[in-house]
Amino acid sequence: MKKILILLVALIFVAAGCAPKAVQTTPPTTSATDRSLSDKDRDRTGISEEELAKAERDRLLREQERLAGILRDIQFDFDSYAVNSSELPKIEGVASFMKGDRSVRIVIEGHCDERGTVDYNLALGQKRAEAVKAYLLKLGIEGSRIRTISYGKELPVDTGKTEEAWAKNRRAHFKLDRKG
Amino acid sequence: MRKHSFVAIMSALAVMLMFSSVSQAKVYLTITGETFKKITIGVPYFKGEKAAGSSLGMSDLLNKDLDFSGFFITAPASLIDRELLDEGVEKGEVKFASWRSIGIDIVCKGRLSVANGELSLEAFVYDTLDGSMVLAKRYKARQNEWRRVTHRLADDIIFAVTGEKGIMSSRVLFTAGRRNLKEIYLSDFDGQNVARLTNYRSITLSPSLSPNGKYLAYTSYRDGRPNLYVTDFDKKNEIFVERSEGMKIGTSWLNNSTLVYSHTSGRTSTIYAFDVGSRSKKVLVQRDGILTSPTVSPDGSRLVFVSDMFGTPQIFSKALPSGEPKRLTYHGKYNSAPAFSPKGDLIAFVANISGGFEICTMNADGSNQRVLTNDGTVNDSPQFSACGRYIIYTSLKGGVNRLNVMLFNGENKRTLRFTDFAEEQPRFAP
Repeated sequence: MKKILILLVALIFVAAGCAPKAVQTTPPTTSATDRSLSDKDRDRTGISEEELAKAERDRLLREQERLAGILRDIQFDFDSYAVNSSELPKIEGVASFMKGDRSVRIVIEGHCDERGTVDYNLALGQKRAEAVKAYLLKLGIEGSRIRTISYGKELPVDTGKTEEAWAKNRRAHFKLDRKG
Repeated sequence: MRKHSFVAIMSALAVMLMFSSVSQAKVYLTITGETFKKITIGVPYFKGEKAAGSSLGMSDLLNKDLDFSGFFITAPASLIDRELLDEGVEKGEVKFASWRSIGIDIVCKGRLSVANGELSLEAFVYDTLDGSMVLAKRYKARQNEWRRVTHRLADDIIFAVTGEKGIMSSRVLFTAGRRNLKEIYLSDFDGQNVARLTNYRSITLSPSLSPNGKYLAYTSYRDGRPNLYVTDFDKKNEIFVERSEGMKIGTSWLNNSTLVYSHTSGRTSTIYAFDVGSRSKKVLVQRDGILTSPTVSPDGSRLVFVSDMFGTPQIFSKALPSGEPKRLTYHGKYNSAPAFSPKGDLIAFVANISGGFEICTMNADGSNQRVLTNDGTVNDSPQFSACGRYIIYTSLKGGVNRLNVMLFNGENKRTLRFTDFAEEQPRFAP
């Protein structure tokens, strides 16, 4: 329990550090410092572990929701890695988020639907991630802040057999790069 | 082909047979066209089989193997009356006319003895038309290896009758697992001795063995991104082939120590030949867009691969080292996953045909394309057997990938099942 709590707290610090307008007054430092700080804080306030954990969870959830509003999946047509113009505002949103906080680094995951061959989809997923990265570069984001990974059709978000499910799976997905 | 089969049978018989009473061999089945007539074979209980105990089901397993091969109709036990069941195994004791009268072309008799944990099986295979001997061979093994012995006998019968070895003694390499947890497995073809070769608890993909079985190449996500590795089974160590950013997939071996793989990163894709000994790589082809699924002809003269240089995935062939890519596929908007037959005359591949992804074959020059599956689902990863007459592949059924095997003309489709998981990317292994 204690370990989970420490992890959660550490995560909050990282997430807060990534936000364009950090509400947290504590400067984001190394996780080791975070741990000792948060331990001391908790001892002083006397708030129960459960309460604190719940508060942290809620905050983390809100943070995730906020990020989800910015880091939206880019959808693709079947067997295509051309970015549709309808998807460009989403990428522009990510670009302004990254410009607002220079500490943000991201991973772009390329995914495919279940149709087609394993090998080709692995390459196609890579091209989808690269296509989105290329547009971010054009918008002035440094390449060193972006990693690309293809998962081919290994990790669908919807396992349905409908065009709707397939469309959801043909995507470039953004994640914060916590490895830095 | 006809002549080749004949020569093959002649030489095979010369090697295999220990009995002098074998008559001149003939070709029973030429499997070159799209269809052929199956041979009806009768396999009664082996002499001594019941006495050897219920743990040995050799004649049952042999019937299953022969049925599985696609070349035989196996006579049900109910067809064979007591008199025929009880007759001896020697040529003089077999009532060929009676066997013929119930429609059996070939009969396989066996005499089994088990002592001190060792088994000895004498097998006699006769043509009922003239009583000539097709095969006579003695097998000795440990008793617990009875399955292996049976598969060898099945393969020997298949060889004697069709001129090419069967696949019952072969092994299968494949991936199996759940979402985000996929490992590489190796199993005997009959599902015995399933061994998990990797345990990275992440996604492991596209395994391929070097022709001599010394090296295993695969792509693993265990470091958070897809890197390409080769495991050396002799030295029991692991070699990084490629860990720069991008998608790396090794799919084919140019020879026993040279892996051919594709790397997609940035604007371009590159197909490399990587020498495991010197750990050096050289570019075979590089282009904008996607290059993937490289496969090398068995004589090493041609590289076949998939490229989207004309907008959709199509299959190309290029003379090594420096020929110009020649497009092989023109039908449809999706042709991928090429694999050479062991003789190099055929290429199996996957084509999108009215919404389904179907296994097809074509000649190595792209001519004579044939569609072998027709179920509208996603069939993938075709690979030929060492004898060239079977294709193993993946088929998405009920949302789960299953391994299947069929004859190269699309007949005799069978589903294989080795683990409790979804199974993919199969290959026959030596």
